[in-house]
Amino acid sequence: MNHDLEHLLTSKRVLVSCGAGGVGKTTVSASLAVHAARLGQRVLVVTIDPSKRLAEALGVARNAPTPVPVKMDDLGSGSLHAWMLDPQLVSNQVVEKFSKTPEEAQKLLNNRIYQNVTAMVAGMQEYTAVEALCEFVSTDQYDLVILDTPPSRDALRFLDAPVRANAFLDRRIFNLFIPSEGGLIRRMASKLVEQVMDVTFGKQTRVDLQQFFVLFGVLLGHLNHNQAEMQRFFRANTVGFLLITSPSELALKETDFFRRKTEELGLRVCGVVLNRSLAVDALLNIPNASDVSSTLNDKQKALLTRFRDEATIEMETATNHAALGRAIAKRNREPVWVFPNMHSQVVDVESLEKLSQQVLSVVDEA
Amino acid sequence: MNAFSKHRIALITGKGGVGKTTLTAAVGRALAASGRKVLVTEPAYSETDELPLARLLGLEPNPKGYVPVTDRLTYTPLRARTGHETFLRTVIPTPRLIRAALRSRAVARFLIAAPSLHEMGLFYHILTLLQREESEGVPAFDSILVDMPATGHALALTQLPEILLRLIPSGPIARALREGQEIINDPERGTAWVVSLPLQLPVTESLELIEGLTESQMHCSGVILNMMPRDVFDPNEREILARWCTDHGWIGSHILARSADATASVERLRQSLDRPVLSVPRVRNVGDVDAIVRDMVDGA
Repeated sequence: MNHDLEHLLTSKRVLVSCGAGGVGKTTVSASLAVHAARLGQRVLVVTIDPSKRLAEALGVARNAPTPVPVKMDDLGSGSLHAWMLDPQLVSNQVVEKFSKTPEEAQKLLNNRIYQNVTAMVAGMQEYTAVEALCEFVSTDQYDLVILDTPPSRDALRFLDAPVRANAFLDRRIFNLFIPSEGGLIRRMASKLVEQVMDVTFGKQTRVDLQQFFVLFGVLLGHLNHNQAEMQRFFRANTVGFLLITSPSELALKETDFFRRKTEELGLRVCGVVLNRSLAVDALLNIPNASDVSSTLNDKQKALLTRFRDEATIEMETATNHAALGRAIAKRNREPVWVFPNMHSQVVDVESLEKLSQQVLSVVDEA
Repeated sequence: MNAFSKHRIALITGKGGVGKTTLTAAVGRALAASGRKVLVTEPAYSETDELPLARLLGLEPNPKGYVPVTDRLTYTPLRARTGHETFLRTVIPTPRLIRAALRSRAVARFLIAAPSLHEMGLFYHILTLLQREESEGVPAFDSILVDMPATGHALALTQLPEILLRLIPSGPIARALREGQEIINDPERGTAWVVSLPLQLPVTESLELIEGLTESQMHCSGVILNMMPRDVFDPNEREILARWCTDHGWIGSHILARSADATASVERLRQSLDRPVLSVPRVRNVGDVDAIVRDMVDGA
């Protein structure tokens, strides 16, 4: 494997893979994890709702309450665990941990709105991922934890998650729903809000919402405190962020934006991965039919011409991908790695390992 | 192109990275070129986000309102806020209450922070687009194409009514959801196209997605296989070419493996589905809408 990348896998304690949906984030994360384990690290890869295929590749079941060891031969001192995070499960643990009494926790767990909370609250998936991550790092069971961030439209969703969760976990929103006591005007305002909510949500839902907010409000202080801690945690120099992108025309813009945003937040980008690149096997050498000895008949020549045409398209695409890799490298101080497009699909630990061995560095030639 | 002109609204769905946005743009342009009034749209999650479909159509990155693209092609972003506003207007009897509700920052933040309510806003916005009229009785758009978000929950919007109805079983939101469900789930009016790639795994995932759509009562027109190899060769030809590669040390046999995969994908979809399987050839530059439109128009 690539030297820089190996250095990263042995020097960081946490790697966070960010990227838009469909770029192969989970595959790259898993492949890095397999490789780090091979280097002797005790590795945990945490992922949220990956495709069935990856679960099968790693041999990990969904909804396992704790990380599951992944079978690999001859690991020496290294080890690999994988965990598929269930946001609702982590959220329940948070509720149990921070509620004042077990009865109060149970009441919240039984609330209809709460039961849909990870789907209801933007940023809640990300919040639970980070909660779980902090927990794993604090136990010292692993040398390296790789976090594959939840699927999203763009790579920055994860970075924005604390802000979005904050937007919801905001006192003002809570106060809106909690029936207020106090002076006449406050009670009247509160009555007005109830009226609006009754017509829009229906009365039963309004009552459930209020109960949810009253119970969840108790946890609010803890969550906000936790979030401040998490933000500090991510700024440590043992934590690195990886941007994973695919060779589309949006890749350049995306990397620019990602770099700007991470700088703003005081986070460390440690590299960009250009996944599914054809640039790695750019050297096709299918000859022109006219350059081949005349032993070919006309039919065969026609076939060869068609084959060469396909190869030409492939090579042009590969050239574009290579140029894109260089363009990204030119604009970034951080290393850029190219992961090849695995023509045979990634189906097991072995192919994940093979993928990691084929990684190339893009060096800015300018 | 005929396959696309049957329905008032088509959701373009599929996993991330398969080319939904590119195909929405291409189909939109090709449909408009065939004489229909077309609206293409995509969800906007914030006021400032860059919108990929808008960009692909050569518009400014975050347009507002209805933006003409070509003669009969219009673009508009789907905004939850627009949906919420229209919705509140229809359910809340007094304007005073609507203004109060919309002006409350806490309410606005709540609507944005709770994703299912956010999706509900998008859903309601779609409804208003369907009901929009050019003049009385004449719909403003013959076809509406929605580039669905790739959040990993491809079913999010189609399953939304059900999920929300579990949360909010009665009241005006529930009524609006049922009304929307009726249009979207009416196979004469609403449909989904699943975009996929001609590879084994994406095809498996697409078949699962179609199953999910069917379960949530969504009509599905078929599959569009994007990035098909231009030439797939028959098995016999592949064998000859593979032998030449081995004999002469030519590099390129993976192209043949991909051809085989592509042929198998089409076969498998045709056998498993009683619906059209369309294919769109690979273009050299990802996102080259012009090239795809040329292929579509020529192919039709």
